[in-house]
Amino acid sequence: MLQTPVRLAGLAVIVAGFVTACDKGLQPERICAPDLVGVCGTIHFRGTIPDSTDNVFVAAYATFPQTCNDLIANRQPVIPGSVPYTDSAAAYSVALAPRGYEWVVAVWKKVGTLTLTPADTALLRVAGYYRNPADTTQPGGVTVPTGGAAGSIDFVADFDHLRPATDFVTCTAR
Amino acid sequence: MYRALAVVLLVLAPAQVVAQGVLRGTVRSTQGAPIRGAMVGVAGSTLYTQTDITGRYRLAAVPAGQVRVRAAAIGYSPQATVVSLTGGDSTTADFTLEASPLELAPLDVVSTKLPRFGDHPVTSVAQVSEQEIDRRAVNTIDEAVDKVPAIQFLNGQINIRGSTGYVQGLNSRVLLLVDGVPMNQGDRGGINWDLVPVDQIERVDILKGAGSSLYGSAALGGVVNLTTRDVPSGVHERVRFTGGIYANPPHPVWEFRDQSGFQGGGDGTWSYGNETWGASISGGARHSDGYREEDSQQHWQVAAKTRWQASPRTRLDVSGAWADDKYDVPLSWCTQGQCVDLGQAYQPFKTDTGGRAAWTDSRKGYIAAQARTVVSERFAWQARGSWYRTDFFDQRRDTSEFGISNRFGGELRAEAHPDSARTVLVGTEATFSDVTSDVFGNHSQTEFSAYAQSEQSLGRGGAHFNAGARMDFLAVDGGSLSAVVSPRLGGSLPLGRNGGALRASVGRGFRAPSLAERYVSLVAAEFGLRVVPNPNLQPETAWSFEAGATTAPFLHFMRADVALFWTEARQLVEPQLIILSSDSSAAIQLQNVSEARIAGLDATLLAAPVSDRLKTSLSYTYLSTQRRAPDSPNAPLAYRPAHQLKLAADYALGAAGVGADFRFASRPERIELEGYVDPRRVPMKVLDVRAQWGHGPLELRLLVANALNYIYNLVPQTLAPVRTTTITAVWSH
Repeated sequence: MLQTPVRLAGLAVIVAGFVTACDKGLQPERICAPDLVGVCGTIHFRGTIPDSTDNVFVAAYATFPQTCNDLIANRQPVIPGSVPYTDSAAAYSVALAPRGYEWVVAVWKKVGTLTLTPADTALLRVAGYYRNPADTTQPGGVTVPTGGAAGSIDFVADFDHLRPATDFVTCTAR
Repeated sequence: MYRALAVVLLVLAPAQVVAQGVLRGTVRSTQGAPIRGAMVGVAGSTLYTQTDITGRYRLAAVPAGQVRVRAAAIGYSPQATVVSLTGGDSTTADFTLEASPLELAPLDVVSTKLPRFGDHPVTSVAQVSEQEIDRRAVNTIDEAVDKVPAIQFLNGQINIRGSTGYVQGLNSRVLLLVDGVPMNQGDRGGINWDLVPVDQIERVDILKGAGSSLYGSAALGGVVNLTTRDVPSGVHERVRFTGGIYANPPHPVWEFRDQSGFQGGGDGTWSYGNETWGASISGGARHSDGYREEDSQQHWQVAAKTRWQASPRTRLDVSGAWADDKYDVPLSWCTQGQCVDLGQAYQPFKTDTGGRAAWTDSRKGYIAAQARTVVSERFAWQARGSWYRTDFFDQRRDTSEFGISNRFGGELRAEAHPDSARTVLVGTEATFSDVTSDVFGNHSQTEFSAYAQSEQSLGRGGAHFNAGARMDFLAVDGGSLSAVVSPRLGGSLPLGRNGGALRASVGRGFRAPSLAERYVSLVAAEFGLRVVPNPNLQPETAWSFEAGATTAPFLHFMRADVALFWTEARQLVEPQLIILSSDSSAAIQLQNVSEARIAGLDATLLAAPVSDRLKTSLSYTYLSTQRRAPDSPNAPLAYRPAHQLKLAADYALGAAGVGADFRFASRPERIELEGYVDPRRVPMKVLDVRAQWGHGPLELRLLVANALNYIYNLVPQTLAPVRTTTITAVWSH
């Protein structure tokens, strides 16, 4: 008498197993979301992630910043979203106004609170930036078209070579 | 000197002094159907044979008197009977075996290097029967082996309990045997799973865990033995046709061709035999359009086998096969910007532009001869010689590569049964491999070895214990010899009379680096990096422990087998990124870098809830791996999923049957060369469904592999097969 339920339970487990086969697996991934106005691409991560990491974000500058103040005040977006950084690569997209941008940069942020002042540079490092395909020693320019997106803005962020803001801009001692 | 030689010849020569008889008969099921491949023999002696396609067997030179003869076959309860033989006479003993779907591996030929049955092996042994191979309607045998618990294939590379990982075909930590003859490639050490036509394979036996104490190099993670069909008496023909269609990509944005892809082929076998000799010849070809871009394949093969009963006590077998495959090589799928990506971050059905127009022509063949002489019921010897040749030509976009390798092997072994409770096996083996290649250079490797194993039954309860060791001497390019010792110890203890048993074993395995691993020198197109040679590679070694239990049937319809395993590996060879001192450029080199631990659980539950019509199995494998290398201490080993689940169900009703297989493997936590390859990977969830129907000499089979068209990959940037619907028709006479 007891065996029938046990047998049915066994069969149910097997049927349940087959049903779990229904899953999506690999799915198409658009380089840019269809409604995105901005830039998107892939960041390839290198090096060892520092223990003090808070997050990594992508920002863009219409003109290359000259000072620490430019670095904070001219950043677009002003409060960027973070990019997943624990895998070897991550897709990102940043909504930006249609126009040209001279610098698209991945910024590493240390644990701490940002104040949206030049003092933030103490918590921030340049992890990598999009480079000119014709001269990879130079930053690459990007144009966001009206109503569309600039795709394939791919670059490398290197946790072993995080560079302070002073490597790129002049900061007045505060 | 002459006296010693005379003594040896006297021992090896067949004894004729004892009165003998011939034992013959048939093995059938309770429905009267002949059982092919059933083992019949006298336990604890050298006298054993297998039934042919008509279920007939013949044991020559059985000592006169009363002998206890046993018959066993996969899926049936073994049976024993006492037969009285008269000297010079022929006696018949027929067996009728009762179907027993819960029977776990009643035959074992890999764990002791001798066919044995009825007893419990001291380590885990799995089998794939002829019926399972047929039911699954596979084109190559790896597709059937892939369904075995704790086994996973990664792009053609076999992993037994996570042994190999994925090493781009440059080695294998599993040894392949064809009728007991080692068949790993002479240059790369890998396995060609299409070497033997699938229609010629009768059974597959798989030893899980280190087997180097008997088999030597490459048996680090396990051994797979393919048993080919024996030549039956009479005239037999068998013709098989297959045809199938690949599913299109499930998303329009992934489509890459206007029409569906097809595959199909045919093969045939003809054989003739009588009691003294027999021969078979087979040939076939198949074509596949492939399921992705640049994935077509042509294959043809021939195979032949002969047997000759030179005397009542001596049998000679010669077999060979040759296969040619010409196939496109979709090196890696396209990532953003590397093809017409249609705005997609990756296109898994398309090939990366840099890897376009790559193809390989791979030819391989072997010839093997084996002779076995039963000197007496207590002593037999066996000798074999083999030649395995592989020849490949790779055409890549800007370059080409070629390699020709030979592997010559020879073995002499003696089997002694001093009494009915003890079996002693001693043997010596030699292998010579060479390669001529523009990427591996011109090199050779020589291996000499000697091994011995003793097995002792203890008391009447059926407990037994075995101990053995093998010593291998290796030399590369005629240089100095290095030695590796591989011992093994194991035992099993029956639990009552219903088939339950405990088992435990510990053994050491090793793998000599292949000539390809030592001397490879090329540019890896996938990574854009040079691969540089490392002649100083040392053998990998591993200690392997296992403790397991097989239960007796419980609740009248279930049976379970559970094994805990633990492997401690040393000197594992892995690709490493290095900076060359010559020009400060980055390169890949294979190095002995890591120690590793692979521990886990391998559990199988068999159930036959509706008599013997419905047979189901559920298996689960848990792997915990730890790689201890300077660059990533305590990281998991690459390409080892922590969880694997396999479900199978078959329902038979007369000549018709339906079945299904489901395989799940969790997403591997780690892959190698991360940062240089697309890291996308997902769990594996694949469902195969099948049906079959037979009428007289005709059998039809339907297989829908990956029925849900689950899109996945097991190694980076390499799409696994999509849904494939295949119809197979077999006519046997």
